Amino acid sequence: MLQRLTTRSFLSTSVVLLASIPLLFVLFQSVQLQPAQWLNLWSARLPGLLWNTLSLSVLVALGSFALGVSAAWLITRREFVGRRLAIWLMILPLTIPTYVFAHIYTTLTERDGWLGQLWVLIAGPNVPHPELYNVFGTAFILSLAGFSYVFLLVSDALTRSRADIEEAARLHGLGPRQVFWRISLPMLRPAIAAGLALVVLHVLSDFGAVSMLRYQTFTLSIYLQMSGRFDMQAAAGLSLVLVLLSLTFLVLERFFRDRQRYYSSGNAKKISRHKATPKEQVLIWLWLGGITFFAFALPMAWMLIWSWESWQQALLGSQFWEYVRNSLVVSVSSATLATAAALPLALFHARLRNKLSQTYIHMASIGFVLPGPVIALGILTFVLTMVPAIYGTLLVLVLAMLIRFLPLSVQAQEAAVQQLTPSIEEAGRSLGASPFENIRRVVIPMLKTGMVSAWVLVFIDTLKELPATLLLRPTGFDTLPVRIWIEASEEMLELAAPAALMLVLGTLPVLWFLMRQHDAATK
Amino acid sequence: MKKSLFTTLYICLLGLTGQALASDLVIYSGRSDKFVKPVVEAFTKQTGIKVTLHTGSSTALLNKLKLEAARTDADVYISNDAGNLQKGSELNLFLPLDDGMVNAIPKNYRAADNSWVGLSARARVLVVNKNDTTVQSIKSVFDLADPKLAGKIGITHSSNESYIAGATVYMRARGEQAVKEWLQGMKKNAGGSVFNKHSKIVRAVADGKKSVGLVNHYYIYRHLAKKPNAPIKVVLPDQGKDGMGVAWNVAGAAVTKHAKHKDAANKLIAFMVSEEGQKIFAQVNREYPTRPGVPAAEQVPLASSYSVADVPMSDLGKYRNATLDLIESVGMP
Repeated sequence: MLQRLTTRSFLSTSVVLLASIPLLFVLFQSVQLQPAQWLNLWSARLPGLLWNTLSLSVLVALGSFALGVSAAWLITRREFVGRRLAIWLMILPLTIPTYVFAHIYTTLTERDGWLGQLWVLIAGPNVPHPELYNVFGTAFILSLAGFSYVFLLVSDALTRSRADIEEAARLHGLGPRQVFWRISLPMLRPAIAAGLALVVLHVLSDFGAVSMLRYQTFTLSIYLQMSGRFDMQAAAGLSLVLVLLSLTFLVLERFFRDRQRYYSSGNAKKISRHKATPKEQVLIWLWLGGITFFAFALPMAWMLIWSWESWQQALLGSQFWEYVRNSLVVSVSSATLATAAALPLALFHARLRNKLSQTYIHMASIGFVLPGPVIALGILTFVLTMVPAIYGTLLVLVLAMLIRFLPLSVQAQEAAVQQLTPSIEEAGRSLGASPFENIRRVVIPMLKTGMVSAWVLVFIDTLKELPATLLLRPTGFDTLPVRIWIEASEEMLELAAPAALMLVLGTLPVLWFLMRQHDAATK
Repeated sequence: MKKSLFTTLYICLLGLTGQALASDLVIYSGRSDKFVKPVVEAFTKQTGIKVTLHTGSSTALLNKLKLEAARTDADVYISNDAGNLQKGSELNLFLPLDDGMVNAIPKNYRAADNSWVGLSARARVLVVNKNDTTVQSIKSVFDLADPKLAGKIGITHSSNESYIAGATVYMRARGEQAVKEWLQGMKKNAGGSVFNKHSKIVRAVADGKKSVGLVNHYYIYRHLAKKPNAPIKVVLPDQGKDGMGVAWNVAGAAVTKHAKHKDAANKLIAFMVSEEGQKIFAQVNREYPTRPGVPAAEQVPLASSYSVADVPMSDLGKYRNATLDLIESVGMP
């Protein structure tokens, strides 16, 4: 028992130390900032950046709330034709990276783009058409790219919620609308808070969309300080502020979650779905169809048309397939490594449940609160000074991915580990299993669901990852996101589109696998 | 299932360990592939030297080069902007080139210590819509700040490298205050709407959405090659005896200090400054070859036919931070 715990604590400590490298780098750089430089940062940059970042976060949170909660409500509470399809349509936008959304929509809203022409047709040629290069345009893009997280968490909570509380409210004379606002919505608060926190954290760390739309958030400004001015210390100072900002969000979210926890016992009556009237069905599909049109169908149509163009011009050479292979190699390795690395942490926390293990879990979340370029820079500096021998290999890139997406893996597995009580493990041991056999035959099968989710989530995010890959990829090693980035900045649409399409196609099978498993678990 | 899992893992491990570079020369290229590849392919054909092209943004790659120091794989650094080249030279990242190799290129288009050499030059010019009578008299880039042009100008956002380089030239030629006022005027005229691509500015002027734009010359010729009847013309700004001349910028290359294939790197630079290499640059992008005697594409006005601002290219690196400060203090979008 003790021995097992020491192995776990040793492994967990190593993982946590690895994960904290970028934060240590930021701290080390920012203590070198003189008070005068801090003051300069404070007066010249921070107010504007804070305002930009916070207003964008609020708008994206509102947008994702409106889209995600409404879709989740309709899909879990109404029975209508094509309901299963609708679930899929609401999560498919997760396959499209933010920078692809941004690139496609800036192209479409130009005067000669599809939406631009439509605008001229409706509003006339002299009315200036709406631009995306501002807070509203950026919020629009990031809401489309992020609302699915809210949808997933809220619809999950809705399927698990109990019917009797709502029925009691109805019996006491509340109308359906009042039930929604006064009973259902407050009960969904933990799920909504968790979903919005996820969305906001993505906003804070987004690099691709904000740099394409040139909307200065902390992350973009940090990148420009680093790469345009070679000012690592100012970049580190700004990163530190961003970390504090993200932590505040996380604390707020925990506060909302912990104060309001609603338990449902396993055998409580589940809510049944009302059969929607034909008129309702039309309205439901107008709404869900509208969301799908902007969040998936339109970008997809664009990708298909331009990919077809490049197919016809025979622009996809062997190099293109090399990018596909490179992307897969990085994503599969990172997902596998991140799943393995999070396991000891989750087990350690499940067993101890004390301050130390809680701190470990928090430390492993650093990847969520630091922007990608900073993580990449921290790893690069660490590797060059401590282990220069591995510099330039794929291992460095995979390491950065591991640190960036470890939080996803830890969270997915932590939930599964909670079901693994010590008595189950002890039962295995008392029946004569060796520690290793016990892990292989008892622990892993019980955690399989969590591990698969972890693997899929990390795989999807690694496949789309851009800023760390740009800095850390081995020489001449191009992945799909890197090519999209390069071709999009040269306006080579027929080259950017097939790469984007491949990203979506690559994500589909694993997403399908995850959903099937999820369905099996909730049935 | 299990077997395929192990196979995948094995392939991954293979990928992790066996990433040896199978090339004789590595280029960090901050220019788009379509401009660099033709020259590189011609070079490989002639010499048999295999080249790996690592493409990214000029600034980010210079940053990478600095961080990597002796560990870098790069033998040659190519930038789309003299500012980055000079910055790299100041950071001591390059090896001086042999004078005999680069002396065919005029002194103004290479570093004083030959640590980098300009390969192709571009002029910062105005594109004007022929149908708008109010803008036909524009003769200077400073006219873009004229309140009469509110809503009519097309400029890029202020982190564009060519934009920063242009502003640096104007600052060196006309002083900080003049450029500050110019930026403030343009900020008002642009009204928050700026472009992220030069090509989009040209298109907007051709469509009549904007009347005048500040761009690199080749974007205009590229548009005219596709649409010969577009109602646009090129105005070479700031001519005459009181004018400061047109701002130029060069794209160029350098051999990195820690190059592992120095010979091959020098051969590549020699090829790129040779007449053959220079001709390719002139053809693929309608830029001005920096080597005298190599003709530019025929539509492009002769470099000798107009005056160019008398600011050394190395200033684009030296005064870049000063320009960035100025741009930020004005709050240019």
